[in-house]
Amino acid sequence: MKPVAQQLVESKRSLVLLAILGFFILPFLYSIDVLSIGQINMIGRYMTFAILALGLDLLWGYVGILSLCQCTFFCLGAYAMGMHLAHHGGPEGIIDANGWKLPACLFVVYPYDVGESSGDALVPFFWKPFWNLPLTILLGLLIPAICSFVLGYFVFRSRVRGVYFAILSQAIAVAGWLVFCRNDVKLCGTNGLTRFDVIAPAESLTTFHPEDAKDQWIASHDGDMGQDLNEDGKLDQLDYSMAEVGFSLSEPNVQLSLYLLTLACLFGSFFLCKWIVNSRLGRVLIAIRDDESTLNFFGYKPHQYKIFAFCIAAALAGLAGMLYIPQMKIITPSNMEAVRSVLVVVWVAVGGRGTLRGAILGALTVNLLYNYLTSEHDYGLFSWSPDYWPIFLGVAFVLVVLYLPNGLIEVVDRFRARFGNNSNSNPIEKV
Amino acid sequence: MFLNIILNQFYSFIPFAFLIFACLGNLFGQASEQEINESELLSLLQSLAVDDDEVRANVITSLAKSGDPQLERFFELYRQGSVYNWPDESGEVRIVVNEETVMDDDFNEFAPLFEPINGKPFLVDGKQAKPDLLDLEDISPGRKIRTLVNSSKFLLRLFSKDQEVRSSGVKKCGDPPFLHEAVPFLKEIIDDPSVDEKMRWLSKESISLIRFSGKLKGENSLTDRINALKDLGELNSLRANARIKNFQNELDESLASRTITAEEKGKFDDEIARVTRVLESHNDTVELAGNLFRGFSYGSVLILMALGLAITFGLMGVINMAHGELMMIGAYVTYEVQMYFGHTPDTPIDSYYFAALPMAFLVSALVGLIMEGVVVRHLYNRPLESLLATWGVGLLLIQLIRIRYGDNIGVNSPTWARGGYEIAQDIILPYARLYLIGLCVAAVSFVYFILRRTRQGMLIRATMQNRDMARSLGVRTRNVDRFTFALGSGIAGVAGYGWTIIGGVTPDMGQTNFIVDSFLVVVTGGVGELAGVLFSGLGIGVLSKAIEPMEFGDFVVGPVWGKVLLLVFIVAFIQFRPSGLFAPKGRLADKK
Repeated sequence: MKPVAQQLVESKRSLVLLAILGFFILPFLYSIDVLSIGQINMIGRYMTFAILALGLDLLWGYVGILSLCQCTFFCLGAYAMGMHLAHHGGPEGIIDANGWKLPACLFVVYPYDVGESSGDALVPFFWKPFWNLPLTILLGLLIPAICSFVLGYFVFRSRVRGVYFAILSQAIAVAGWLVFCRNDVKLCGTNGLTRFDVIAPAESLTTFHPEDAKDQWIASHDGDMGQDLNEDGKLDQLDYSMAEVGFSLSEPNVQLSLYLLTLACLFGSFFLCKWIVNSRLGRVLIAIRDDESTLNFFGYKPHQYKIFAFCIAAALAGLAGMLYIPQMKIITPSNMEAVRSVLVVVWVAVGGRGTLRGAILGALTVNLLYNYLTSEHDYGLFSWSPDYWPIFLGVAFVLVVLYLPNGLIEVVDRFRARFGNNSNSNPIEKV
Repeated sequence: MFLNIILNQFYSFIPFAFLIFACLGNLFGQASEQEINESELLSLLQSLAVDDDEVRANVITSLAKSGDPQLERFFELYRQGSVYNWPDESGEVRIVVNEETVMDDDFNEFAPLFEPINGKPFLVDGKQAKPDLLDLEDISPGRKIRTLVNSSKFLLRLFSKDQEVRSSGVKKCGDPPFLHEAVPFLKEIIDDPSVDEKMRWLSKESISLIRFSGKLKGENSLTDRINALKDLGELNSLRANARIKNFQNELDESLASRTITAEEKGKFDDEIARVTRVLESHNDTVELAGNLFRGFSYGSVLILMALGLAITFGLMGVINMAHGELMMIGAYVTYEVQMYFGHTPDTPIDSYYFAALPMAFLVSALVGLIMEGVVVRHLYNRPLESLLATWGVGLLLIQLIRIRYGDNIGVNSPTWARGGYEIAQDIILPYARLYLIGLCVAAVSFVYFILRRTRQGMLIRATMQNRDMARSLGVRTRNVDRFTFALGSGIAGVAGYGWTIIGGVTPDMGQTNFIVDSFLVVVTGGVGELAGVLFSGLGIGVLSKAIEPMEFGDFVVGPVWGKVLLLVFIVAFIQFRPSGLFAPKGRLADKK
């Protein structure tokens, strides 16, 4: 085992490369119009997937727990941020009886009881905490973590492991998907959360309630808001939040900032994971992967460590979800279908399980390939149809599992070992 | 010990299997529709030209009694006044139908004529007759006859030769608008010794419903109607439930208008409450039996789905995520066989369904064999990797099928799968579900037979228990692996084949419907034991159908929350039995 400091130095080069590419070259290419803002936005989204993959890699690559419900946690984070954005969304929707603005996406699919009319729609209680941005970010990390804690507590304590846990987690993913598809849970059913408008308007940072926001607004206008209030003192349909505060999500500069924020978060999560796996805690996690029974005999309680890793992975997934949604501007339950969670596993497996760089590499490679191969291409001899993509993915994935168990990162490392002066005898040991 | 359990299970299913075959026999033996003497009907029709209501009424009643389904259209036409008499040169009556006239350039109206019964063009010298409208003699019915004709449309069904049409006709009489004209005919049915018990019961129910509605002349006092309600209570008629509310409203109105006293109403109310209690308890019984059966049938589907997994996962330790796709292939083979036989709803060729069973098994087994040879054999003892690689294979299979067949295809169930067997009053067991239970029993016994009663099965068990020892004793373990995996895949194909009778067929049906459920069944049951699959399959089936209809105040559980609750239940269950119902014991327990 090499010292932590040495490891840091060794893996520095690829990181520096990624940082330069991400922070400087891509924005530069954008500024000279080689890349469109749409492409930057797309790469930003794929980076959130890389954060998601990092979490799974920590869990699967280091602790040996294959979780097939990471996308459920991703969506918990995404829905948290989605509710926040919907609160401050466009001018559609109504003001309900309690003075809360009923977001447009909820208003159109609100599950009325028999005899209720559109005036009786109320903003559900669990939407209300998401008015405030800092609270939303906190909850977006905490909710997935708490869910994973409860699940992990019951499952790992009873020593469910290996494939049993994988199957159980997939069942949970299916159950979660079914619940979020229901219209009567008031999360907009299969339509999903949409019609976002601005991010971080002033009132979302300083207030916890639209009434406070209104007071603040009126105060800032010296009470000259008469024409925008109804006779009963409620806010008019005219949305005050989009008037001058907040950053519009369709603005290119805002999208670029979101991309940079995502990149920063990606590095943050990378260093967090790296710190975890290189600490003594990380040694225990790897020991769980390699031989749980023996670790148990040494007096450790493996389930505590497993729960910890599971919570970290879930929180990272929640973070990824929160970053994903302002860039995607829609979140639907189809993002939590069981297949999506398996896809995360595919990214990690293709990139290189058990190396954090591999997870990032895998997520970016597979998604960029996906982006390229799901459009028509004519290569002269034969033309590529998007229909072939699942076949390509299936075959490639089988080949990777069979012949490249350590993923693409192994190829990269071998290449570097041969042509560079950097000798690495055991790429798996590296982070 | 497990052997005994399986055998007991098997024996308890035998009566069920006989029941299914008895049902099938009934269906195939049904009498074909008898040719009705059309000329006889035509000669009856001649009398309609006589301008005498009594004669006409007699004609219509005898027409109705013929039960010929073609007459339904004729009655409608006659009621509209589209039926005419067109006397020929000698003054002989010819009954014809004309609905629309055509005009020539001189504004003379001509009437293209049609045959009254079969609706074909009325031919004279090989051409459709088109006489002047003025040559036709109007024989349209008067008001009194028109009501008779109208009800005759329904009465016609009471005399149909087709038993299904007849019983639906009998049933219809008891629904609004309560055909009181039918009562004498219904009474005839009750007295007729040749009709079956069900028809007689339906007639009694309909008569009582008509009496209860107060539409029957001479018997429409409130006391008469309460007596009818008593009869309905004795008949356990669920249809009466819907009518009681109306009757109560009527009673309230009568009380308000002082036609009955409060004391009388109290008596009536007591009677109604008594009957309602009877009906409710009957309803509860029906629902309980229905849920139990649905649970059993869902359980049998689960067992069918999980049986193949119990072999590939339980015995071989391979997580085959493409299991659902192998089922999908079985379903698509069924579709191909159907197309080959040319079975459509209009031209049913039911034998295709039996031919599809071995085909589905063989093709899925073949796909499984290829899969084993190419992918799975590298991944024995690496369960997580086998999970991922087989998922990739599944993705590939789904997309290949999608490119070949598109997103949706129609597998038409064989005709005998429609309808159900009424085992007790109001408890109907659909034939499709019964067939699935039978198929499940057959598949379980087949697998059991192979594993426990054949040499190959012995080799399988030997290899799975101790591979090295088996190999050193000369067992070709590679061949055993191939055979076992193909067997599991073939059983998956049979499950997909069975599914076509109750559900839709799509390329991704394996991922959406099957894979999670079947793995849960295997995990809950415990790996490596067929008995575990049987018990957990039935247990999960019955439990989920027991949870679904539950109500907590306003909240009805329903399928989605039912599934979530079931999952919670399974997680809780795993707390107590981490290795499932039938955990492997001893050294086998160490195997992951």
